[in-house]
Amino acid sequence: MDETVAEYIRRTVLKIPRDEIKTMLQKWGFLSETQLQTINFHQIKENISQDVVQLCEENSADIKQAAVLDIIYNHIYPNKRVWSVYQMNKTGEETEFFDLTDFKKKFKRRLRSALKNVTINFREYEDNAIWIRIAWGTPYTKPNQYKTSYVVYHSQTPYVFVSASVLKSNLPLLCQALVVASNYHDIREMELRSHSLNSLKDIVFKRYSQNFQTYCPRPLQERNVAPESADLRIIQENRHEKERIQRVNREVFGDGPQPQLEFAQYKLETMFKSDSKMDVLDKKEPFRCMVKFSSPHLLESLKSLAPAGMADAPLSPLLTCIPQKARNYFKIREKKSLFPGSFMKIIFKDHYRAWGRRDSWNIDVSKKFPSSFSGY
Amino acid sequence: DPQKTAFLLRKQWTLYSVTPLYRFSNAHLRDYARLLSAFIAAEKQKGLAGGGGAFKCFFSPSQLSSRSPASPKNSEEKLIWSGWFCCVSGDDLSENVAEDFTCLPLFLANGAECYTSIVGSWFQKTFDCCFRHLAISPLNLSWMAAMWTGCKVDKTTSAMELVFSVPCLPQPLDISYAIHPEDAKALWDTVQKTPGEITQEEVDVFMDCLYSHFHRHFKIHLSATKLVKVSTAIASAHCDGIIKFLQSQYLTGVLMLLTELAISQIQ
Repeated sequence: MDETVAEYIRRTVLKIPRDEIKTMLQKWGFLSETQLQTINFHQIKENISQDVVQLCEENSADIKQAAVLDIIYNHIYPNKRVWSVYQMNKTGEETEFFDLTDFKKKFKRRLRSALKNVTINFREYEDNAIWIRIAWGTPYTKPNQYKTSYVVYHSQTPYVFVSASVLKSNLPLLCQALVVASNYHDIREMELRSHSLNSLKDIVFKRYSQNFQTYCPRPLQERNVAPESADLRIIQENRHEKERIQRVNREVFGDGPQPQLEFAQYKLETMFKSDSKMDVLDKKEPFRCMVKFSSPHLLESLKSLAPAGMADAPLSPLLTCIPQKARNYFKIREKKSLFPGSFMKIIFKDHYRAWGRRDSWNIDVSKKFPSSFSGY
Repeated sequence: DPQKTAFLLRKQWTLYSVTPLYRFSNAHLRDYARLLSAFIAAEKQKGLAGGGGAFKCFFSPSQLSSRSPASPKNSEEKLIWSGWFCCVSGDDLSENVAEDFTCLPLFLANGAECYTSIVGSWFQKTFDCCFRHLAISPLNLSWMAAMWTGCKVDKTTSAMELVFSVPCLPQPLDISYAIHPEDAKALWDTVQKTPGEITQEEVDVFMDCLYSHFHRHFKIHLSATKLVKVSTAIASAHCDGIIKFLQSQYLTGVLMLLTELAISQIQ
């Protein structure tokens, strides 16, 4: 067995939490059950990985088999990587029958025709997800198994989730290969990025509970509610406002759990408008800002701002539109007024039912890279 | 001194306030170095400081009369920790203090925390002074934001960034609000009325303008959150008392401000 393969397997096993190693090796299926039983999974990880490498040596593992173990690891722990979302476009309307073998063949062929030194592995999962692992080399060097990109493609959808990590220069090639293999016309990067692969899927497949405008009459019990404390002298002053905030929050965010994103970034190029009486900054040019929100669970965090008294309810549609627009990168420009001469005439429609109405700001799709790729 | 200044720039310095030192003398720096080295060696024996190898300290008198740095090094001449005392325009404090005392109210340290606490305890034992972390309040941070935005810089490449933290939510939230330096300066220039003089009201108006611009877009009240960090081309400051100097020409100005903060914490 190649030394590099042995080292790669050793390092991959070391990444796995000790309690999960046996299950993952079983999923891998490369080592027989008898072989697995010879390993003591209670010793320290360094020793476990040595034992695993020894057994792989007996079975003459090659890089392809080692790569499968890596896919399994990343499938179980996808949140260790950052994922971007791409959307493919087709000109025709018919949904063609998806031929997996054809897809794999075309993908490999397209990729290898441009770059011979790549390791490509596929693995299919029950939810129609095809996982592709690519280890990149250069025209002069063998593939580096530690410089990998991952692609998750749900064949029934036009969406592809890519974790490119290093070597962004290989992205165009990767995109081309995807378009060609899946018989689409072109592909564009969406402004959506997160560690949580499942949340990205929730957002683009609309699997989170969206808010629906339902008619919610004021509940009658508001008037007849029993006092919260026995002492009638204690009343909640702002109860109506609190209830209004909860109701509006529910309308805007929906009832279910929010998809998990870690950040949202806004590039603002809007005009500065002062409400103070002071004669402050009266420029004709935009006030350029960059705002970034970060949180372990951004949408839940934003949802809790109004009830905590730190934000108005409803929260700005710039924030609440994130799942619906399936993006967390925005470029906001001022809406052009009808009268070009009067730059200070800024039209703001505060809308409290954001869904279904046009936004008052132009939300640009700032296509960074790549803008589009056409297949053949 | 350009070399010394370069040494200070672009490093993260943790700030402390120090009460006046009793019977500290520039003439005995060599002795202090020896004693501090021995002290550190003893602490290392007790296992309170990491790293192996011999340890050498040296004190150097500063070129400017108001600063005396103290920098322990290890024997391989690799600088692992440095600290320095500073007092810029702290005359008010010195005036009210008895003769035997030396006023060096501001202390800056770069390097492992364990060394800082060892050096701090030695100074406290030897000169009967008291070291305290110098936290920077949101009020002072907004002053820094306003003041430093107004400074003229040759190449305005770094944005004026304010970082807010909202920790007490079910899921904590951090907000970074970065403004193009030219636009931030343009705003400040219309707010500030008298050159060379800044009032609290002007700082408040400046911050309110930024907050209301933000509120207009996001409906979030930044004033209800905690301002934890301010970053400009001049310097960056964090509420935990961490500073980074970025421009040599404004170094003294920033030190003056920090000395003031240290003095007000001591008093």
